[in-house]
Amino acid sequence: MKSSLRTALVSATAAVVFASSVWVLGAAQEQEGGAAPAGRGGGRGGRGRQAGPAQPTPRLADGTVNFGRVPGEKGVWGVPYITNMGMQLVGDDGQPIPEIAKARADQAAAAAAARGAAGGGRAAGGGGGGRGRGGSKSEPWMPWMPWSAAMYDYNSKNESKYDPEGYCLPPGGPRMMATPYQMEILQMPEHNRIVMIFEGATHVWREIYLDGRKFPEGDQLNPTYLGYSIGHYDGKDTLVVENTGFNENSWLDYFGHPHTDKMFVTERWTRPNKQTLHYQATVNDPGAYTKPFTIAWDVPWRDGVELPEYICQENNRYLNRLEDDLGQPIFGPRPQPGVKPGSGTR
Amino acid sequence: MRTKFAVVIAGIALLASTRPIVAHHSFSAEFDANKPFKMTGQVTKVEWMNPHTFFYIDVKDEKTGKVTNWAMEMGSPNGLMRAGWTRNTMKVGDKVTVEGSLAKDGSPTGNARAVTMAESGQRLFAASSQGNTQ
Repeated sequence: MKSSLRTALVSATAAVVFASSVWVLGAAQEQEGGAAPAGRGGGRGGRGRQAGPAQPTPRLADGTVNFGRVPGEKGVWGVPYITNMGMQLVGDDGQPIPEIAKARADQAAAAAAARGAAGGGRAAGGGGGGRGRGGSKSEPWMPWMPWSAAMYDYNSKNESKYDPEGYCLPPGGPRMMATPYQMEILQMPEHNRIVMIFEGATHVWREIYLDGRKFPEGDQLNPTYLGYSIGHYDGKDTLVVENTGFNENSWLDYFGHPHTDKMFVTERWTRPNKQTLHYQATVNDPGAYTKPFTIAWDVPWRDGVELPEYICQENNRYLNRLEDDLGQPIFGPRPQPGVKPGSGTR
Repeated sequence: MRTKFAVVIAGIALLASTRPIVAHHSFSAEFDANKPFKMTGQVTKVEWMNPHTFFYIDVKDEKTGKVTNWAMEMGSPNGLMRAGWTRNTMKVGDKVTVEGSLAKDGSPTGNARAVTMAESGQRLFAASSQGNTQ
């Protein structure tokens, strides 16, 4: 039938490819697999990160750190692709916890060995595309609850098939700073607020109130994707932002660490030099994790760039193609017995 | 020769400036990195749209003569522009060679990572959710 024809064509094409092309996949796979997430020292993979020596931290008129542009210049933050928050945990010293430092070293060694074994050609990916997706057991340092571990295992097994971002829904909490598009921070001291605008992540904005207000109480705190953010400066160098009021429709990261509406996130932002925003977030979610944990990474500055428009919902064919675990479409009508399916998505 | 060299240099420069690639949905839920392909066909349609640009090519099976219309997914227009594309880089009727990964479901769908324009020989990275061909 039609499917067997397709299979034949696919097989034929694959055979031709295997016979004729040298295909270097290893490095690219690792990139998305997140085995070596962006981290200290400028964040690997920050698009267009600035070359040359570090420039002084820009400051506002009163000496407070400026998280935006120097007047007269262009530039945006190139948010890195952090696929796995579970590999970004830091200790009180701001450095990766020892278990993660060791795990990274082991992964790097294994990747190098795999590349060597493959003669510099195809490497990694041997585990059926698992690419380091070891589930909750591979992150024993995470303060799992049984349900959050099980949920994470499921997301790991199905390779993040049901990631809400794939549906063009916004990330929530720290994932805003881990979704690899560009972002700008509009610091408005005269208004006691900060607005962040994001190219990606469904083209959303985020507002942080610095006017000394408290969180709304009870049902007045309406759960949202991005939560409710209030901030204050800790000295001249650090912005502290407290966030709560999250809904449960987002994941903490691409790998699928879950969270609940009990999540409280405390962020600390610094700009050690003009080219670097250092981001640190303590996630306290007693609904999903037995104790708080702190994650951190750098966001590189991209000089001379302005934000383009990006509307994720425009033509998201992923929704049309997505099927559940039983092979049924998740969105749109399900096939009815005796009714010939339409032409589909193409 | 000199042109080819320049293209390679440009490619490396692009590679350095465009990482990491833009990610929208789970690559591995849909596509199989262990099923790479390289195929040539004629463009029948281009959807220069978010979150992924799609184009469609007619590919002829040399053995059977059967023509199949393949859907090819690339990155977002923004990602593609950062990689050197414009909305008019690829037009209906163009002959292109596509490198990428096949869909897991066996449908004629691919995730394109690099596209070579037959007429100009220009090879462009596709801002794929899998990453650039290196």
